[in-house]
Amino acid sequence: MHGPLTARRLVIRLGAAVVVLCAMMVACSLVGTEPVSVARALGFGAEEGVHYDYEILFRIRLPRVVLAAIVGAALACSGAVLQALLRNPLADPYILGISSGAGLGTIVAVISGVQWTVLGRSPIAVFAFAGALATVWLVWLIGRLTGRSQVTHLLLAGVVVNAFFSAMIMFLTSVANSSQVHATLFWLMGNIMEEDPLVLWVSGGLVMSGIGALFLMGPQLNAVSFGEGDARAMGVNTVVTQTAGFAIAALITAVAVSLSGLVGFAGLIVPHAVRLAFGPDHRQLLPLSSVVGATFLVLADTLARMVVAPAQLPVGVVTALVGGPFFLVLLVRYSRRVDWLAR
Amino acid sequence: MSMIEVQDMGFSYTARPLLSGLGFEVKAGSFLAVAGPNGAGKSTLVNLLCGVLKAQAGTIKIDGRLIEEFSAGEIARTMSIVRQEFVPVFGFSVMEAVLMARTPYYGRFGFERAEDRRIAADALAATDTSDLALRPLSDISGGERQRVFIARALAQQTPLLLLDEPTSFLDLKHQVDIYDLLKKMQTEEGKTIVAITHDINLASQYCDEVLLLAEDLGYFRGRPGDVFTPETVEKVFGVTGFSGAVGASGFFLPLGVYARDRRR
Repeated sequence: MHGPLTARRLVIRLGAAVVVLCAMMVACSLVGTEPVSVARALGFGAEEGVHYDYEILFRIRLPRVVLAAIVGAALACSGAVLQALLRNPLADPYILGISSGAGLGTIVAVISGVQWTVLGRSPIAVFAFAGALATVWLVWLIGRLTGRSQVTHLLLAGVVVNAFFSAMIMFLTSVANSSQVHATLFWLMGNIMEEDPLVLWVSGGLVMSGIGALFLMGPQLNAVSFGEGDARAMGVNTVVTQTAGFAIAALITAVAVSLSGLVGFAGLIVPHAVRLAFGPDHRQLLPLSSVVGATFLVLADTLARMVVAPAQLPVGVVTALVGGPFFLVLLVRYSRRVDWLAR
Repeated sequence: MSMIEVQDMGFSYTARPLLSGLGFEVKAGSFLAVAGPNGAGKSTLVNLLCGVLKAQAGTIKIDGRLIEEFSAGEIARTMSIVRQEFVPVFGFSVMEAVLMARTPYYGRFGFERAEDRRIAADALAATDTSDLALRPLSDISGGERQRVFIARALAQQTPLLLLDEPTSFLDLKHQVDIYDLLKKMQTEEGKTIVAITHDINLASQYCDEVLLLAEDLGYFRGRPGDVFTPETVEKVFGVTGFSGAVGASGFFLPLGVYARDRRR
């Protein structure tokens, strides 16, 4: 049973979640195939010239953990927003064509062998980002053409575009050679790798401001969950809420996808888990989902590099394998409250 | 003082006009029932009155101002709407749903003040739903949910209340409970009430005026007894039936071809 949300409750819960996230990020930076000493990494008792621990901790592990956190936060927050805007508990960040658009961008980049880079990003990342945003724009356009602001039309447009682009991905995969296919496949499964600090700053900044903007839309998203008519009756400008919500959610998802490929499940289950445990109020759901999503992906990525060490699994495999059962446990535990899921 | 003033208003979705030349007035603090066959434009009228749809001809004035001049926030502070079809999503609790009515009153970082909580609690008490406060909307019965949505409309604290079939799906007791509640809001709090309804008998018992939308026959308006005459009802709805009177108000019982007591 969750009582109504108060500002005090939100601050306490959010604070606790942030503390857990930070602890998790530190802990996950310390585990790995090579043992690392914090003392030595920070320069205590180390002989001059040897920065081995420092290099591993601050140049390899920590950036990767931060990257996982950014991706997790972006996916979970945008999943929560899309579920509200589409009034559909099965919605996830990829539902409006982002996954297939980014996938198509990736395979085009791999096959064509272009070498463009932007801000030090690989051509795959650049193409994935562009493909994701272009596809969302296309879906939005088709949705607008077929029906005035009807979310069903938008969903259908997303399904159609996803299907069509998936067909194109399969076509291109079947004509590509095997090493190219392997690179694409790894990307499609969702994979987090080490990135340089500039990438982290830029994408982290984008995702954080996107989440911040979406957080301000909490009351509007609450009203929109009750349908557009009700939202309008409560004084919400539904056109602005929908347009801004979709655009920002698409942007942060595209950033996440360009960083890590298609990490599945996080954007679907994290908002549900938070909703089940703390209630559906979006003023709380969005910030809390972001922090929990970040924690979840940091953990999943650590598992991904530990389980078959020294080799690494794609993190998307871990999120699906761990996320699925975890979600089932939640479902059973709170089953009394989730009959809306069965509809 | 009139709360709603509609003049020579026309609207159509297609080439065929749905509403045309419609004119009526609702005095502040009065209770209007809107009746009519399916597809006569009753829900469309609600959407026109709250500015979701724009009239293609004529004018709609709320509280003396053209509806087009209202901002979304002003509309939300002037009228609250209880709609027909509602699907609760994401397990919002009753209290959360009712508190949401305070959205037009809180700022950008939106949190309710203590006063908002008190208003929501009062609305729950008025609709006899306080016990349900912490239950998820999806767990309660249709009748309870209907009352919760009326509570939400009350918590919005607007002078005007628009209801689209507030008693559909309700059993007899809950039907009269809802009408009693609406009447109480009208007489005790001076609210103006516009209710769309198929139940012309209850409407006759409770409302002050009736607007009967009759498609090609135009529309009828006036006191319930003057509008809901057996002849008009049979003509507009295309049914025959039995009519009589309980005290001051009439009633009409529709009788189909195979009904046991069909006479004609």
